[in-house]
Amino acid sequence: MFGATLSRWTMSYFAAALIFLAIGEVMMVLGFGYPVSSIEAPETLALVHTIALGWLSLLMAGALLQFVPVLVGRPLSLPGLALPALVLLVVGITGLVLGFVSLAGAGSFSPLLLPFGATVTIAGFGLLVIVFATTLWQARPLPLPARFVAVGLGSLVATIALGGTYAFVLAGLSDTQAAIDLTLEGLSLHAALGLGGWLSFTTMGVSYRLLTMFMLSPDRERQSSRIVWALGAAALGIVACIVPMILSGSAGRVVLLLIAALAGVIAIGIYMADIVRIYRGRKRKLIELNSRAGIGAFAALTVATIFFLALAVSGQIERGVGPLVYLVTFGWLTGMGLAQLYKIVPFITWLECYGPLLGRMPTPRVQDLVVETRAAFWFRLFYLTVIVASAALCLDNASLFRVSSLGQLIAVNALLWEFVATRRLSNVPSNLRLSGGFARPHLFFPPFQSRRQP
Amino acid sequence: MTKDPYELDVRPLLKSGSDPFQAIMSAVDGLAPGQPLKLSATFRPVPLFSVMAGRGFAHQDQPLGNGDWEVLFTPEEQVDEVRVSAGDTDLDTWPDPARQLDLTDLDPPEPMVRILAVVEKMQAGEVLFALLAREPLFLYPELAKRGHKWAGNFDAAGETYRILIRVGGRKGHENAAD
Repeated sequence: MFGATLSRWTMSYFAAALIFLAIGEVMMVLGFGYPVSSIEAPETLALVHTIALGWLSLLMAGALLQFVPVLVGRPLSLPGLALPALVLLVVGITGLVLGFVSLAGAGSFSPLLLPFGATVTIAGFGLLVIVFATTLWQARPLPLPARFVAVGLGSLVATIALGGTYAFVLAGLSDTQAAIDLTLEGLSLHAALGLGGWLSFTTMGVSYRLLTMFMLSPDRERQSSRIVWALGAAALGIVACIVPMILSGSAGRVVLLLIAALAGVIAIGIYMADIVRIYRGRKRKLIELNSRAGIGAFAALTVATIFFLALAVSGQIERGVGPLVYLVTFGWLTGMGLAQLYKIVPFITWLECYGPLLGRMPTPRVQDLVVETRAAFWFRLFYLTVIVASAALCLDNASLFRVSSLGQLIAVNALLWEFVATRRLSNVPSNLRLSGGFARPHLFFPPFQSRRQP
Repeated sequence: MTKDPYELDVRPLLKSGSDPFQAIMSAVDGLAPGQPLKLSATFRPVPLFSVMAGRGFAHQDQPLGNGDWEVLFTPEEQVDEVRVSAGDTDLDTWPDPARQLDLTDLDPPEPMVRILAVVEKMQAGEVLFALLAREPLFLYPELAKRGHKWAGNFDAAGETYRILIRVGGRKGHENAAD
């Protein structure tokens, strides 16, 4: 059967992701990790993995469980693996983060937590890769957005393979020369494949489909979008190829990295032109908050790309890598994530509660589940704190960074509360709220005897 | 990407008194995807037009002046395969649409809301025809649950999704009213 049903565990992934985001924000407010500690410090690694794995990767995984079927027009294969994957990921990521904390000398955890957490995390991602890869394989030939997802999944596999190696080296379990070389020289590849490949490239692909859908823009595959895919896939492929070059000690890696960076920057440039075209070509003149809030994320991606170019030209990448990664992680990825959650959560909730009642009795609209004016304020505060925190990192001002992180913690928690209100149907006019005697949706855990298909 | 047409002259066959139909059909079967067929005959082969239309070819015919005709059969642009609901969906037995909706200017999920509202008011066996800007992926499971049949595809330009929905008997969702 064609079509897409509600993904049973997506809301649970989102809930876990948002909790990790809140924990990460608290770490930044308390000054745990960069910029109070150095970029290489274990404290920073704990913070980075709380955000990149706990928040962004769980968010991406939950979103893909719902949207891969929409991208390819067929149901998910092996949907039963979604829950075990979530359990493994939450346990694994928690173990990994606590492992980094113990490396920092705080807490008295076993150093073996690091390789344990890494192994369990890899097992969780492995299950998800099986789910998505099987679904995509059976849906060939793939539409363009799904081809972005395929490359993103490839990047994820490379990222976790590298990350797993580092975990064993840092815990002292592996002392082979190759593994040590990779840990010393391959860290930027791990970050580039994770943030650039898995998280950014996948987001770009999905955004082509979601933005055109939400704003009623033409969504025929464009040549320019295909070039974005080809350049981005080539850049990520080159980065992945540098790994065996490190192992064999081959020369010429810097040149290859430069070529990959150039291809990546051009791809982002063309992508931004595509995004501007999608916004301009929309049939829907008044756009909803998720599309408006997304503009902040696109602006952050543009600024980050220009900043990267400026750093590369002036040879100061090492010095500016902190603010750069912050801007990509929070301005672009977190901004986009929160903005799209603001559409996905009400839509899923609406379909879950009112889908069976449509046409049979008065039902609220999706927009009735949210109060945009309230949330718009929190999105403004969020982006303001991203700007101030980025500036603070450029100025090496840790106190200013912590103060702005406090503002960001407040904005994120307020948005989290908005999502809860949406799930609880609190914003729906009371005469429409539970028409037909349907029960309130479960907050983030599906009922065991569900009418819905998994 | 226009391919050179395959040229087939059946005038010698016709003049010798044999039926060129088999020769034409085997030529059609041998065409590359997207390749046109240029046919020369001693008369205007009108019966062939509908046969070829059934195989997805449009035709352009012109007289050659001496009573002979030349016809260019061009394969029509590939349209998306038709997606149909599960089970026995024989479109030939469906009646003409009783209702038509143009929902191309509505953003999701409004087309789904409108379609389900209209379908609820229609009689079992009646057919609704609707135009949408997107394939309504979340509508399909809801139609299936309510016992309706559907068939849809994109137009040749890939811009408008067309769907036919035949209203089923009133069953499914018995629990909606309790």
